[in-house]
Amino acid sequence: MRRLLATLSVRQKLLAVVLLTTLTALLVAIAVMVGFDLRNYRQSLISDMTTQADLLGRTTAPALTFDDPRVAQENLELLHYRPQIRAAAIYSARGKIFASYSGRDGREFPKLPEADGTRIEGNELVLFKRIVDSREILGTVYLRADYELYDRLVGYLGIAAIVAAIAMLVAYVLSRQLQHIVTSPLLAIADVAREVTEKRAFSLRAPKLSKDEIGMLAESFNTMLAEIERATRDLQASNEVLGREIAEHNRAEQEILRLNAELEQRVKERTAQLEFTNGELEAFCYSVSHDLRAPLRAIDGFSQALLEDFPKDVPEEAQRYLSRIRSSTQRMGQLIEDLLNLSRVSRGGLERRDADISELARQVVTELQGREPQRKVDISIWDGMRANADSRLLRAALENLIGNAWKFSSKTDQPRIEIGSLSDDGRAVFYVRDNGAGFDMAYANKLFGAFQRLHSGNEYQGTGIGLATVQRIVQRHGGRIWADAKPGKGAAFYFTLESDGVERASPDMAEAQA
Amino acid sequence: MPQKMIMVVEDNPDDEELTLRALRQAKIANEIVVTRDGNEALEFVFGRGQYEGRNLERMPAVILLDLKLPKLSGLEVLKQLRSDPRTKLIPVVVLTSSSEDEDMLRSYQSGANSYVRKPVEFGSFANAVSQLGLYWLLLNETPPRA
Repeated sequence: MRRLLATLSVRQKLLAVVLLTTLTALLVAIAVMVGFDLRNYRQSLISDMTTQADLLGRTTAPALTFDDPRVAQENLELLHYRPQIRAAAIYSARGKIFASYSGRDGREFPKLPEADGTRIEGNELVLFKRIVDSREILGTVYLRADYELYDRLVGYLGIAAIVAAIAMLVAYVLSRQLQHIVTSPLLAIADVAREVTEKRAFSLRAPKLSKDEIGMLAESFNTMLAEIERATRDLQASNEVLGREIAEHNRAEQEILRLNAELEQRVKERTAQLEFTNGELEAFCYSVSHDLRAPLRAIDGFSQALLEDFPKDVPEEAQRYLSRIRSSTQRMGQLIEDLLNLSRVSRGGLERRDADISELARQVVTELQGREPQRKVDISIWDGMRANADSRLLRAALENLIGNAWKFSSKTDQPRIEIGSLSDDGRAVFYVRDNGAGFDMAYANKLFGAFQRLHSGNEYQGTGIGLATVQRIVQRHGGRIWADAKPGKGAAFYFTLESDGVERASPDMAEAQA
Repeated sequence: MPQKMIMVVEDNPDDEELTLRALRQAKIANEIVVTRDGNEALEFVFGRGQYEGRNLERMPAVILLDLKLPKLSGLEVLKQLRSDPRTKLIPVVVLTSSSEDEDMLRSYQSGANSYVRKPVEFGSFANAVSQLGLYWLLLNETPPRA
């Protein structure tokens, strides 16, 4: 029932409720009325019949007293004016039938009278009433009458059905006419709600058609719609802001990408230029290496040939000139060699590995001693000096530094060379120190320039490229190199192999920084 | 058994003469063939061009090869020599002015037996050439003919 109701529309539900209520009320009313009426009928029938029996008793009492059944019979015959009484009888005090009357259909009478009382037998009422006169029981009246309860009931039900039908019809018509008072505001709200949902038109408002709960519902619904409309507007606004921000962000990103691409392009161009320049430089070095040396070899070779093949034809002075030519060509050969070395340390990759500086220094010293075994130099090399560096380049640097120390201490009485390290703020500083010729710190700023020499070629041989090469190597490691010296008291060269953020060393020290 | 032959591939006439002089001074009297560019060197060993009809039985016992040569570079000559079964096993000494590591590496990779730098100083140069000649002509055992 409930489920059936749930599927109905509000209109149908209202109708059903009204009809059901009307029907129930009607049925209850009819039931009560019928019940009341039937009780009344029964009571009035019983009292009517009791009165009738009393009346009969009074009128037949003399006949009984005088034992005159004819009078009694006449009295009974009068009952045919009351057709509802079907049968009647008078019993004598001894219980014999004294007189009897039968109505429409002949009927048997009870053989003996019973005590006073009434009872219903089917659709008949049976009544016994004693006839008493001055405390003497003269006889008994027996009455049997129609008890038409069912007929009445059926009649009533018929009326009830007709009344109910009419009432329902009226109720139906009335409620059909009146229900729109209740449903139309609801349906209006429902219509608006549907439209809002379908079209997302939050600006719509439900009409307030009544001042009852539905009216309040409409108001609440409108308030809610207003709230949603405001929230939606806010949301749209913030969405727009967000959209603009995203667009801005995208634009910025595009810009960054574009700039990056531009930068990359520039780097590519620069790299290409650099590669081209490098290539040219390499070609140049190759050419120097090959072509510049060949004529030197020829000059030297044929000078030698001249000396060897015509020993008698070349005067002594000319021979001295030729040997000067030869030593010059050899110096130039050395110069070319050193220049190539300098360019080689600038080119090529830097392969940093754990390098044993002590071991490299020992190798260099061994080589120097092998070249000039007659020299006695006191050399001390600290153990365990290590650095993360390119050992090939590092060796070239040490060759130059130790080679210099070796060279410039050659005219000292007790030459001493020390290769060690000290710690400056936890950073290793390596040094090569000698007690040789030294130099004037006034010229220290020229130390590391290529072809710069602080000693004449007569004093010490050299091309002036060695320290430039060392500086280049140190710089490629991100380190720096500086020197400290005094004329006649020796020189010390310090270098680091890692970059530092430390400010420059004291200004009285010559230095070069990466 | 005929004398072993030395081939010198050298485009610079000065270097050629100095080389020959150094060999002479080292008392090496073997036959010396001089070719002046890479192409000529290959024509000689394979008996082509101006060397058409040369007795190919007679191959140089050692080739002194300069790297910087006109037409075909020394490295290319070396590669062609190494790719031909007739010349694959001839000892080749690269004799060059270059002190570039790259040149040395590529020479050895291409199958050079030795790499010798030409020093500027003639004494050292002559020394190097004569030692080469001695080593490759007298001490080195040539591989048996295939």
